[in-house]
Amino acid sequence: MTLADLKTGQSGKILKISVSGALKRRLMDMGVVPGTDVRVEKVAPLGDPIEVRIKSYALSLRRGEARHIEVEGTHSS
Amino acid sequence: MSALIASTVHRGKSGRRTHLTIAVAGNPNAGKSTLTNAIAGSRLSVGNWPGVTVEKKSATFDFQGRKITLVDLPGTYSLSPYTQEEVVARDYLVHEKPDVIINVVDATNLERNLYFTLQLLELNIPLVMALNMHDEAAQKGFRIDIDKMALMLGSAVIPTVATKGEGIGRLMETAVAFADASETQRPAVVSYGEDIEKAVAAVAEQLKDHADVVSGHLPLRWMALKMIEGDARAIEHYQTEAYAALTEKAAHHLRSAHGEDLEALLADVRYGLAAGLTRETLRKPEKRKRELTERIDAVVLNRYAGIPIFFVAMWLMFKLTFDIAGPFTDWLDGIVAGPLPRWAAVLLAAISAPDWIVSLVTEGIIAGVGSVLVFLPPIFAMMFFITLLEASGYLARAAFVMDRLMSAIGLHGKSFIPLLLGFGCNVPAIYATRTLENPRDKALTALLIPLMSCGARLPVYVVFTAAFFSAYAVTVLWSLYLLGIVLAVLVGFLFKKTLFRGEAPVFIMELPPYRIPTAKNLMIHTWEKGKHYLMKAGTWILAISVFVWFGLNLPWGVEAKKESYLGKTGQIIAPVFAPLGFGTWEAASSLLTGVVAKEIVVATMGEVYAPGAEEKEEEASSFSEDVREITVSFGGAFVDAAKNVFSTFGVATMSAQEDEETAGLKSVLAKTFTPLSAYAFMAFVLLYLPCFIVLVAMRHEFGSWKWAGVTIVYQTVLAWMVAFVIYQGGRLVGL
Ligand SMILES: Nc1nc2c(ncn2[C@@H]2O[C@H](COP(=O)(O)OP(=O)(O)OP(=O)(O)O)[C@@H](O)[C@H]2O)c(=O)[nH]1
Ligand SMILES: [Mg+2]
Repeated sequence: MTLADLKTGQSGKILKISVSGALKRRLMDMGVVPGTDVRVEKVAPLGDPIEVRIKSYALSLRRGEARHIEVEGTHSS
Repeated sequence: MSALIASTVHRGKSGRRTHLTIAVAGNPNAGKSTLTNAIAGSRLSVGNWPGVTVEKKSATFDFQGRKITLVDLPGTYSLSPYTQEEVVARDYLVHEKPDVIINVVDATNLERNLYFTLQLLELNIPLVMALNMHDEAAQKGFRIDIDKMALMLGSAVIPTVATKGEGIGRLMETAVAFADASETQRPAVVSYGEDIEKAVAAVAEQLKDHADVVSGHLPLRWMALKMIEGDARAIEHYQTEAYAALTEKAAHHLRSAHGEDLEALLADVRYGLAAGLTRETLRKPEKRKRELTERIDAVVLNRYAGIPIFFVAMWLMFKLTFDIAGPFTDWLDGIVAGPLPRWAAVLLAAISAPDWIVSLVTEGIIAGVGSVLVFLPPIFAMMFFITLLEASGYLARAAFVMDRLMSAIGLHGKSFIPLLLGFGCNVPAIYATRTLENPRDKALTALLIPLMSCGARLPVYVVFTAAFFSAYAVTVLWSLYLLGIVLAVLVGFLFKKTLFRGEAPVFIMELPPYRIPTAKNLMIHTWEKGKHYLMKAGTWILAISVFVWFGLNLPWGVEAKKESYLGKTGQIIAPVFAPLGFGTWEAASSLLTGVVAKEIVVATMGEVYAPGAEEKEEEASSFSEDVREITVSFGGAFVDAAKNVFSTFGVATMSAQEDEETAGLKSVLAKTFTPLSAYAFMAFVLLYLPCFIVLVAMRHEFGSWKWAGVTIVYQTVLAWMVAFVIYQGGRLVGL
């Protein structure tokens, strides 16, 4: 499962980033590192991008980028 | 720690340096600029870092009897080599070696900020942390153990509130004290774990003979870590192929234990440490309150309301910009058109200057300066609103809402605003691309901006629609605006597939909390953005205006416009326009002067088609009358601006009024153009190369003429093709 599969309000734990190079480094620099909890807060009105909460701040990214982030679902609320 | 500060803070100690350099580094939005401004105030100067259009802000001032240079580095999340900002920041830190780093940390977002701090520590430069946003952290109920943090980092930690100037004094004193004790006051070496440290030691052992390290030019630990990370820029830059091979041995060992991606491993380790530091020093309240930002976002980013709210916000910004700026533009225009040349003429007559000098000064130089001046009000107004959007946090939301639409033509969500502003005036729109971080997004956006029909093109449309399409003027006008938009979509798509192929756009963006910007911040940022235009673009615009004046007035004593260099050039290029339906020298010359500013097309047409109708002699007025008039009309401009703001309707346009002068022109046009060729002409005016002020702005924003050149070529070709299709197509169907 990837971050793009989580629905609004669902949380997950990051397992791995399945892309390499600049994009991976950029994601990691923004706090998207394995073991971190994420929660999908919002989806943009046109369906993309999405807003997630990670390391206590709000990050937005496109679904295309979120698909590179493997997560395991924890719980939904 | 405090003992150390006390022992070094004494003034007049021998051997201390008289000039200190302090770098201000930190995450985006941590408050670096606010802090730098609070310390340096108006002494701040803003420019670009060499070669890139990343802002360089620095200030030199006296502090406790010696010189301090403060450098506000671009905000970054890391010191990796992937974005312009990161490269600028790390090259500065590594090569310029500031005496001390002030690391501005957002106390409400400790973990991610500490990740960056850890990378700063690797540089082995004395570090003082400004634990900023302390007010917000306190309000959230965060309790941060400052002493513990200082101890763990081997640095000083000073709580600050940059917006209120709190903690600034202590911060500066500590920073200076650290610089003085720089030999001993090195930051802690944070251990990255046994395996990595072993590899670092092994690589460092090989590196320590490298000339740059021996001479103290490169921080050894940082260098070793970059080698292990496989940092391409570091390896290439420091030409350490031989060392790279040795690194490979150490790296190989790490890889077999920790997996292939060592860069990721290190990021992981740093985040682990940042998380640990945060856990040790930060106490959060048990229950997290739903914050104001989340409540605002629930409305602003709502699935149904988000887009309407966005459009209302844009409409408001657009309207306010031009409503407020319009009267002041007219006021400046009035001065430049009337009193200023009059005074100059009187002065020049007093020193008995020849006629051509008078003409050069009044029609060339003053008119040139005038064209710079009239852009000032909209530029400053627009920069003010952009700053407001940016500082309040809404700009990031706007990008979030619009990204889907923009990404279809390969743009970034943030591109929308510069494009929209282009409908008012392309020049500030080009400067507004500064909000885009990625050079690719910036260039592509700037290339499409001229397709947005700006206010200066409207006078041309007005004259032609009045002459040919008075029955359906509005439809024709709208069709032109729409034509620009449709072509922008097509051209954007084309560029995405050609010029910018292979450069993957990314949209990974922080949504910062909403904040009420301080008036001081707004003023400083607005002024900084506008000042650029005034200083740099001003000189170019003046030079080109003078050039055009010569074009119109050479050879010496030329009477008929047809015989001037410009007129002759018009005659030469006229055949090019024949297939478009307007192959006359008059049309060609008018289009040529339109490069100065598109509304000039109408003015030139007035001169070449209907000479003699121009320039009614104005009754002479005295200097004091002029001054009174200028003052009174300045007051009037305020009143008009205020009225405009409160009147809900009335489409805001610059210089759209139609005056009697154009009435004569219309009847002449009716004889030389057909409705079809008139429409082709309007489309051509919409699309052909933008006024040179836009080109100068592009050169200014991108540091080279490259994108201005691309614009000139593609727009001229596009304009010709579209006008050709319209005219010939129209004839085919019998129009
Ligand atoms: N409440 C509060 N707000 C602050 C403080 N310091 C800065 N701000 C606000 O935070 C926002 C960002 O500040 P800037 O100074 O522009 O941040 P920066 O680090 O220069 O940002 P970049 O240039 O984008 O890297 C502004 O709206 C400031 O008014 C502070 O101590 N407390
Ligand atoms: Mg800043």
